[in-house]
This record gives sequence, C-alpha cells and structure tokens, in this order.
Amino acid sequence: MTVEAPDQEHAEEQSEAAIVIEDAVRRFTSRRGVVLALDGISVRVRRGEIVAVVGPSGCGKTTLLELICGLQNPDGGRVQCAPAALMPQRDLLLPWLSALDNAGVALRARGLSRSAARAAAGPWFERFGLAGFEAARPGELSGGMRQRVSFLRSLLAGKPVLALDEPFAALDAITRAEMQTWLARALQEETRTVVLVTHDVEEAVLLGDRVAVMSPRPGRIVANLVIDVPRPRQRTDPHVVALRAQALRSLGVPE
Amino acid sequence: MSRMRRWTGWAGPLLVVVVLLGIWELYVDLGGADPLVLPAPHAIASALYTDRGTLWSNFLVTAQEVVLGIIVGVLIALVLSIGIHFSAMLRRGVYPLLIASQAIPIVLIAPLFLLWLGFGLLPKLAIIALVTFFPVVVTTLAALETVDPDLIKLMQTLDASRLEVFRRVELPASLPGLFTGAKLAAVFSVIAAVFAEQAGSNSGLGYLFTIADSQLLAPEAFAAVAVLSAFAIAMFALLAVAERRALPWAYQPKGDTA
Amino acid sequence: MTRRRTVLAALVLAAGVAGCGEVTNTITPNPGTVNNITLELDYFPNADHVGIYEAQALGYFKQADLNVHIVAPTNAATPLDLLAAGRVQVAISYEPDVLLARNQNVPLVSVAAIVQQPLTSIVSLARQHITSPADLRGKTVGDSGIPYQHAFLETILHHAGVPARTVKEVNVGEGLVPAIISGRVNAVLGAYWNYEAIELRQLGRRPNVIRMNQAGVPTYNELVFVVRKGTIVDHAPLIRRFVQAVARGYEAARRDPVAAVQNLVRMNPGLSYKLQLASVEATMSSFFPTDGHPWGWQSAAQWNAFGEWMTQEHLISNPLAVPDASTNELLAGQGV
Repeated sequence: MTVEAPDQEHAEEQSEAAIVIEDAVRRFTSRRGVVLALDGISVRVRRGEIVAVVGPSGCGKTTLLELICGLQNPDGGRVQCAPAALMPQRDLLLPWLSALDNAGVALRARGLSRSAARAAAGPWFERFGLAGFEAARPGELSGGMRQRVSFLRSLLAGKPVLALDEPFAALDAITRAEMQTWLARALQEETRTVVLVTHDVEEAVLLGDRVAVMSPRPGRIVANLVIDVPRPRQRTDPHVVALRAQALRSLGVPE
Repeated sequence: MSRMRRWTGWAGPLLVVVVLLGIWELYVDLGGADPLVLPAPHAIASALYTDRGTLWSNFLVTAQEVVLGIIVGVLIALVLSIGIHFSAMLRRGVYPLLIASQAIPIVLIAPLFLLWLGFGLLPKLAIIALVTFFPVVVTTLAALETVDPDLIKLMQTLDASRLEVFRRVELPASLPGLFTGAKLAAVFSVIAAVFAEQAGSNSGLGYLFTIADSQLLAPEAFAAVAVLSAFAIAMFALLAVAERRALPWAYQPKGDTA
Repeated sequence: MTRRRTVLAALVLAAGVAGCGEVTNTITPNPGTVNNITLELDYFPNADHVGIYEAQALGYFKQADLNVHIVAPTNAATPLDLLAAGRVQVAISYEPDVLLARNQNVPLVSVAAIVQQPLTSIVSLARQHITSPADLRGKTVGDSGIPYQHAFLETILHHAGVPARTVKEVNVGEGLVPAIISGRVNAVLGAYWNYEAIELRQLGRRPNVIRMNQAGVPTYNELVFVVRKGTIVDHAPLIRRFVQAVARGYEAARRDPVAAVQNLVRMNPGLSYKLQLASVEATMSSFFPTDGHPWGWQSAAQWNAFGEWMTQEHLISNPLAVPDASTNELLAGQGV
C-alpha cells in the first residue's frame, strides 16, 4: 500500500520522466547573508504523474516550482523539465479582462486573435461550471470561480507540465474542499504532469499519485509516499486518513 | 447610487458653500476688508454677469492652451515613464533631471521659452506641459512599478515576451496611475496657464485677471479667477468620470447598490 | 506705474542671442508690399497707447504699408530685452531704461517720445497728509526696488531738505497700490499720476500726488519708442513711416478723444472705458511737445541733462551712453 523510503529511481523510468531534478542547489544572497534555499534536492516526475509536495513554510517549495517552470536556474545540480505553466496561489487574473479573455491570455500571447482565443476557451467554461460567466470581470466572481479560471488559463497554455503553487490556500475551508474535489476530477479528464505544492496534507493525499515531503530550509525531499488509493478518493476513506497521518509524521507534526 | 442619494450628496457641500459666501459677503459689507483687496461676492457675481461675453471668449483661449498643454504633458510623461521603467540607464540619468526641472523656478525658464518659441501658443504650451508632465510621470511610473512581480512571472510561463507582458499587463495596469497624475496635472495646469499668459499674451483669463488687477478692478479680477477655478474643478470632474468609464475594473464592485 | 525687470543675466543672454543673429521677422523693405512690425508695449494696453491703437483702428498703419502686431508685455523679459534679442522690431520703454541699456553697450536708440514728461509720482492716500516732499520726513515709502527709483527719492528728499535717514524705503514689488491701501507704507514712488492716481480718485480714495519733475528730479520722457541702432541704419524709411503713422494716431485722438478711447477699449478686452477716458484726457497735453515741434520730439538738451543726473547718481558711467541716445530724424519733417 504505502512505501516510505528515500527517493529511489528506476532506470527504465528515466525515458518517461517529464521532470528531472538532480541535486539541485539554489542560493540567494540577501542583506543577511547567503541563504541556502534548496540543498541538493532531487525529484523525478513521470509523465502524467501528479506529485504533491508538502513542507513547512520557507522550505523552498516555491523556489522548486520556479525551477521547474524555468523562471530560475539552479546554482548547482541539474534541472530538466518539459515546458511548464504556472498556476499561482493568488489567481492574478487581469481585472480589466473578462473571465473568458483571462482564460485565453496564453493564446493571445502566442499571437492568436481575440476571437480565436475566445473560441478556444469558450467550451471549457461549461465543463468547469462557469457557464454564463464568460463576460464577467474577475471582481464579480467568487474565489473558487477565479481559481477555476486561473486553472483554465494555465491549462490553455498547452504545456505538458502544470505547476500549481498552493492554489487553494487563499480560499475558505468550504470552497477549498469543493475545489479539491473539482480539481481531482478535472485532472482525471485532462491528463497533465502536475507538481502541486500545498501546505494542506490532506489535499496532497487526496490529489496526488505521490506525496513528496520536504524538510525545512534548506529544502530536501525527506520522504516519498506513494498514494495508490483509487479515485475518486474520499476524505473519510481510512486509507486516506492513514496516509495523511503518515505524512504528518514525516513532517514531524505530532498527531 | 440612487437618485435620492445623489441629490442629498450634493446638498451638504452646497450648503457649506452658501454659508461661506454669506459670511464673506457680510465680512466685506460690514467693513472687515477693503473691497479693493477683497471684493464682496455680490460684486463678483455682478462682474461675472456684466463681462460674461468677454469672460467666455477669453475662457476659450485659456481652455485651448490648457487642454493642449495637458495633452502634450501627458504624452511626454507616458513616453518618459515607459522609458524609465524599461531602462535602468534612463532612470539613473533622466529621472534626476526631471526632478530638477521642477525645482528650477519657472520665472527662469519662461524667458528661455519666450526666446526659443516666440509669442504665440507654443511657449504657453511649453510652460503648461512643463508643469503638468511631472506628476503624471511620478504616478504612472509608480503604477508601472507596483505591478505584481508574480503576475509577470506567471505571464512568462505562459510564453509572453517582454513586449507582450508590457502590452497586456503593465500598460493597462498603469492606466489608473496615469489618470491620477492627469487629475493632478489638470489642477496645476490652470495656475500654469495664468503664469504662461503673463509671459506674453493678449488674451485669456490670466490676461484678463492681470489687466483687471492693474486697473484696480477687483471684482473683475476675481471674476476671472472664479472662472479659472470652475474650469479646474470641471476638468478634474471630467477626468474622474472618464476614469470610471474607461477603467471600470479599477473600482470595487458595489455589492449593495440601492 | 509698475514696471517689469529681469536679472541682468537675462539682458546679457538676450544680447548674446541677438549676437547669434536675428531670430524673428526680418524687415523686408519692399515698397508696395506690406512690411511686418512687432511692437512690444511697456505695459498692458492703456491710455498712454491711445494714439497707437487709434492709428491701428483708423487704418493709418495700413496706409503706410505696415502690418503692425502689438504685443502686451511679458513677465519673462523686459521690452528692451526682447528688442535687443531681435524678437521685436520696436519696443516702448522709459528714458532711464534706455540710458541704462546703452550703459551696457546695448545698441538701442530712442526714436520718438510718446509722453513728453515724467508720469512717475509719489502717490499717497489723503489720510497720510503728504502734500509736499517735506511731509515725507519720518514716513515709509514703497517702490519696486529699481535703482533709479531710489535715486529719484534721494534727489527729492535732498531737494526738500529732508534727511534721507528719516525716510524708510521699502521694496513692495509690483503691488504699489495694495501697499498704500493696506497702510503698509505711507506713500509709494513709481505710480503714475495719470493712471494709478486716477484709478484711486475714481474709487473715492482721494490720493495726493507729487510728480517727479515737480520735486527736483530733472524732467525726462516717460515713454519712448526704442529700436536697435541697426534698424535705423537698414530700415529708416520703414520706422519713419511707423512713427509718423503713430503721430497721426495721437493727433486723431486729440481731435476726438471719446472715439479714440472707444477704439482703445474695443480692441483690448478688460479695459475700463471710464478709467481710460479719464486717463487720456489727463494725459493729452503730455503727448505733444511744445514750441511747434512735431509729435515725438525729444530735446537733446533734456536728454543730456537727465543723463548727467544719472551719471551723478552713479546709475551710469559709460561715456558713450548719453550722446546719440535719442534721435528725431525719423519724425515728421525731419531727416529725409
């Protein structure tokens, strides 16, 4: 059921890896001196795999995501990643565009006309439960709806990898729970390689094929939990509960 | 806002204005101030009525100077803001000069404009543009620089080039700042126009003010000033309205509209 | 009357620019075609300029093949600055200022006197009881901080036997009348007896007036037409036509002052008919020289005497300043 061991890779999986990070090191120089954000971290993600990364604040989760997205380069080690689109924690929807135009931003950036981008994004709105809100401005949408538009925007970028940075952290508990269910289903329908950073351990267990536990700064992977609970997963499922407890133990949180 | 609330919204300030005018009138009529120095409101109102033709035609002259001057100032400010935002070299080299341009007393610069640009509309536009461009640069640049860096990172992962990021994110995000600066510029521009007209003019409200002042016609001088003030307020209000129309997204949605 | 001054640097700058060549309309003396002249006034259009606007209104300029563009003064430069810089062809200024400019070797010449005698006066409100210079003892006098105004005051006090140290002199800038109304000073020096004094009289303030030339200051031409020396050399016929058209304008104003003031007010927004008419009537005799001389006549003896006074007061020192500072060669019946 579960395997708790340091990261071990199999040679035959290397050809299918969408993300390869080997001993990546990342340093930042600040007024207070040099900060070591990532200390030889290694992660390997297969194509189509959903990896949830949990860790305490400041452990370098966001830095890891930015390495994956190519926004930063490592100071040491190797990072090799298929093209990745970022879904940020705050939705960062452009307030002057409608929901539909926001969703199509990546397409417009690539040169599509406005009507072509709208045509590409339009059909998704119903699938995402946003039917009727195409013309709405972000200010008129609820938090959950905005995150759905944000996810659609990342999806429409057409990249094989999705990097989700604590996507539901800013939502209230009820909406968050709804969104977790929604995302699980959405990812089932649209397969991507996903790296999901979250501080919510239950969320990680609900959504991920695997949960990677990061140590406090400087970040390293200290545990890997394989979650082979069949989907759709229930919060109340004893396996889910047990895995959650296990993950928390790995984080050093007393139960 | 419901019509009822809009009207009651006006009543307060109107009442205050009426009371102030009343106090002013009494103060002068009871001998508190020399009418040559501070004319009574009724005298100013009379001058406004008697000279309405002259005031109107000269208002048009000043309005033209001001509107054109603001447009030139805003355009220059936009170019400068974008340039400074993109180029660290320009920021180091040009921004201090911009600040210096405001610190030099305009009485020293006006003669140069006069020598270079002659007597017509141009030196007035130059003076007004000089006074108005700076607040617009400051506010537009601030808006450009407070664009969320996470948003820019996001756009980069969506394959937006630097130019795309500017066009789609930074430029629209800078518009509220631009409007704020323009509103400031509009108010400053009126003072600048008066000075510009004193720098060589045969017409305009600033000219009327000066000529009335030189003939000790205080009510007429104040009348010109009153029209100028009304103009400044009108421009400010117009810009505020335009801002709400052009940038509806910059305002919080009203959840409980009546 | 208030005047506008700039720093000496501006004058030097203007002269420097003039050295770079003429910047605006050069005069092209083509008979039969209209020639452009830009005239810079000393002050806002007022009664003193009645003959100029009359000439404009009655077409005298047009008849002389002239297109005259009249420009009001600017706070950015004095009329003589603009003249020296070549921005205008003719400027109206004051005899003392012409001599000051010539003292700096700026090649300007006065070609006609618009007002034959001084207008500058010491003006005070009735309640100050200042009816003669002797009454200035112990009082405060405001002026615009111009050096020769200080010299005027000194000469007047000396003439009246009032010790200078008993009189306080204050710079009130451009606000001469506000200064006496507020009581900040007892009297001001620099207001005109035909302008501010009349304004005050019309407002019922009963001013007392002491004219410069009635208090010991040598007489001088308050307002004169000034051109660059080079303009006389190159374009004498043009300036002659201009000056003589203006002369006709003043003569027409003398014949019908009411119509002239109506023209003046019509052509200039914001002028008060009542004030300007009173001013024109008060000034009319001062527009014309005595002894049958043509309009605009300047007395060489008077210019020499005034120049000598300025030298004694250490206002000028250049021996080339006074001689040939004025010329009558462009007036009616002269030169040719």
